[in-house]
Amino acid sequence: MDRRTFVKSSCLGSASLLLHGLDPAMRAPDKAPPVPPSIELHGLPEHKASPLGMPGLFPGRVVELRDQNAIVRNRVSQPIVRRMLEDAMKELTGEKSAQAAWAKFVEPHDIVGIKINPSGAPACCSSPEILREIIASVQSVGVAARHVLIYDRYSFEMDIGSYQALLPPGVRVFGIQEAFAGGSGYEPNIYCEANFFGEWETRSYMASVVAHEVTKIINVPTMKDHSAAGVTGALKNLAYGTFNNVARTHRTPHSFTNPLIGMMCTVEPLRSKAVLHIMDGMRQVWHGGPLTQVQDFIDQPGILLVATDPVAMDTIELGHIEAKRREKGAPSLWKHDPNSITTNSNDFYHDATKNLFFRQPGHVAAAGKLGLGVADLKQIDHRKLST
Amino acid sequence: MTMGIAKSKAPADWPTLLKENSRAGGQQKNPARSPEKVVWQYRAGSSVRSAPILDGGILYVNSLNGIVHAIEVSTGTPKWQFQAPGQVHSTPSLYENRILFGCDDGKVYALDRNDGGKMWEAPTGAEVWASPVVLKGAVYFGSADGKVYAVDATSGRQKWVRELGGRVYSTIYATEQRLYVGCGDARVYSLDASSGATLWSTPTGNGIISSPAVIGDVVLIGSEDFFVYALDSRSGEVRWKYETGLGIASSPAVSSDLTFIGSKDGFLYALETQSGRLRWKTAVGDVVTASPVIGDGVVCIQAGGTFALEIATGNVVWRAAMAGTVQSVPVLAGDTIFLASLSGEVYALR
Repeated sequence: MDRRTFVKSSCLGSASLLLHGLDPAMRAPDKAPPVPPSIELHGLPEHKASPLGMPGLFPGRVVELRDQNAIVRNRVSQPIVRRMLEDAMKELTGEKSAQAAWAKFVEPHDIVGIKINPSGAPACCSSPEILREIIASVQSVGVAARHVLIYDRYSFEMDIGSYQALLPPGVRVFGIQEAFAGGSGYEPNIYCEANFFGEWETRSYMASVVAHEVTKIINVPTMKDHSAAGVTGALKNLAYGTFNNVARTHRTPHSFTNPLIGMMCTVEPLRSKAVLHIMDGMRQVWHGGPLTQVQDFIDQPGILLVATDPVAMDTIELGHIEAKRREKGAPSLWKHDPNSITTNSNDFYHDATKNLFFRQPGHVAAAGKLGLGVADLKQIDHRKLST
Repeated sequence: MTMGIAKSKAPADWPTLLKENSRAGGQQKNPARSPEKVVWQYRAGSSVRSAPILDGGILYVNSLNGIVHAIEVSTGTPKWQFQAPGQVHSTPSLYENRILFGCDDGKVYALDRNDGGKMWEAPTGAEVWASPVVLKGAVYFGSADGKVYAVDATSGRQKWVRELGGRVYSTIYATEQRLYVGCGDARVYSLDASSGATLWSTPTGNGIISSPAVIGDVVLIGSEDFFVYALDSRSGEVRWKYETGLGIASSPAVSSDLTFIGSKDGFLYALETQSGRLRWKTAVGDVVTASPVIGDGVVCIQAGGTFALEIATGNVVWRAAMAGTVQSVPVLAGDTIFLASLSGEVYALR
């Protein structure tokens, strides 16, 4: 082993993660899943882990607010999400003021990256209204606008969300993947390596902006079903939005999002820099995620979740999506039925009984076993605030 | 070439966004039939987020990697290329012997259109995605720094600068006395063309990336608040507004009685310009952010492919499963259509 942080998970170890991540009540797929390959993680050499890193200052704590007036006819209310975010931050931290709450995570000298999720834009993506409040909150602590970076992988998806125009002047808005000068957006020495399906490129590299530029990350996932991962929440948004070449982990009907999502989140400096997770549940995709534009599968519950623990947050999200699917008569996220699998994306997008892959919601619990947070509902401090 | 205003001198020319400063978006004799073949295909090497323009047998295309391509339309080969220092999202505009465009490095550049040599640059405080608009020797453009600039078209020297309340990605509509532009602060502004002074501003419900069109005394523009607005050009008073299903980034193209505009809800809308009444709407994709252009009896738009719809009915006349893109706009030039794509391909179809 050289100066690199080096972790190698054996086939046995990865398979163990996979199995233990599943909900016991649902642990009976029709056919045993294929064994994941070994996955090598190469993090930033000699990086000193931060106490703010995942699971952060408040392991197991998730604050949830729901306000039906926060989104009306698909429009998010700026004043209501402002109040919701302030209340959530105070509840999460125990501070009396929102500014004091934010000061627990961000200091004036920080360069703050706000990792959004524009991949379902415009139907379901990180709301500009919530981002405006986060930006204002970060600035209230003393961070200069030019030190606030709104980013994700693909700039064209951010264009569809019109984030550039809708956010205040001064903050930087950019996509990693199409940054100027081609492949310069990724750090060649920080990567995850695995060969899932015989692909020629077996590495996924960490975004340079995460590795070297930002000092803190505020993660703003959305609340969505995911055809391969089960849900896309805090963990998935961080992992697959930070590393490139990730679509290779799923090929019909199989998905190795478990265990890769959690493993990616352990790689430094991503783990240390991701200090706060604010889940935008204004809209909720209960089928067809992450890209669907079909409004039949998108509810507008007006939910906001705040946590430092991405595992606990995603466990709560998983419960919400699963409950909604149950209410709508859709199969459980955990169900692996070969008859549900289709290679026709049109079928998938318009039929909630169909899917492209065997979903892997067990990636959340698997991430918990890697120390990223609490996956056991009985141990999660789930604080629902009335509005 | 006309002096001082971007107006095509020949039917096939297309020197600025949506063909002319009138923002009428074409309206010439163009092929209503489906193009039958690809005349040539040019690889720009990077995504194209802006609209091509055409003049004098040269197609000008800006690619995201900062390269300005001057392409001979007869052969599909490059006449020259210019490498800008940053990404380019801005649609170029022509003025006399210059090609003008904004860059993510915060500058607007003027190049010699004959050889691509840099003639001047005008700095702003942040990226410039809007297309520079030229009128009577002045170049007008907005910047993500929240300001609108007027510079001399010959030298690039600043004439005036006016700060608005948000980022400016909307391309200005210029008349001799007044400018009209949308802003990220959710307002539509009318500015005095000679000083930049605000004549009026009208609020909408969310930020604006759409570029306005003016016909008669009506300013037409879309907002991210889902509405299409028709404003009185003198007062800013809302004449009518029409609600679509999602936000609007598309810019309107206007004919004598109809306004065409896309919405992120996936529909292209045809609204009666005077009343705002819906004439028809047609689904053309999951999401529409590009602007339509008007041809001979058809309106064309790129939305995951290129569509031509019959103006009278909204029925799809033909579609080409190429050139899906976020912001690009087809150029309708005689019997040829030029398309640029998100994947960086430029096509000449006939």
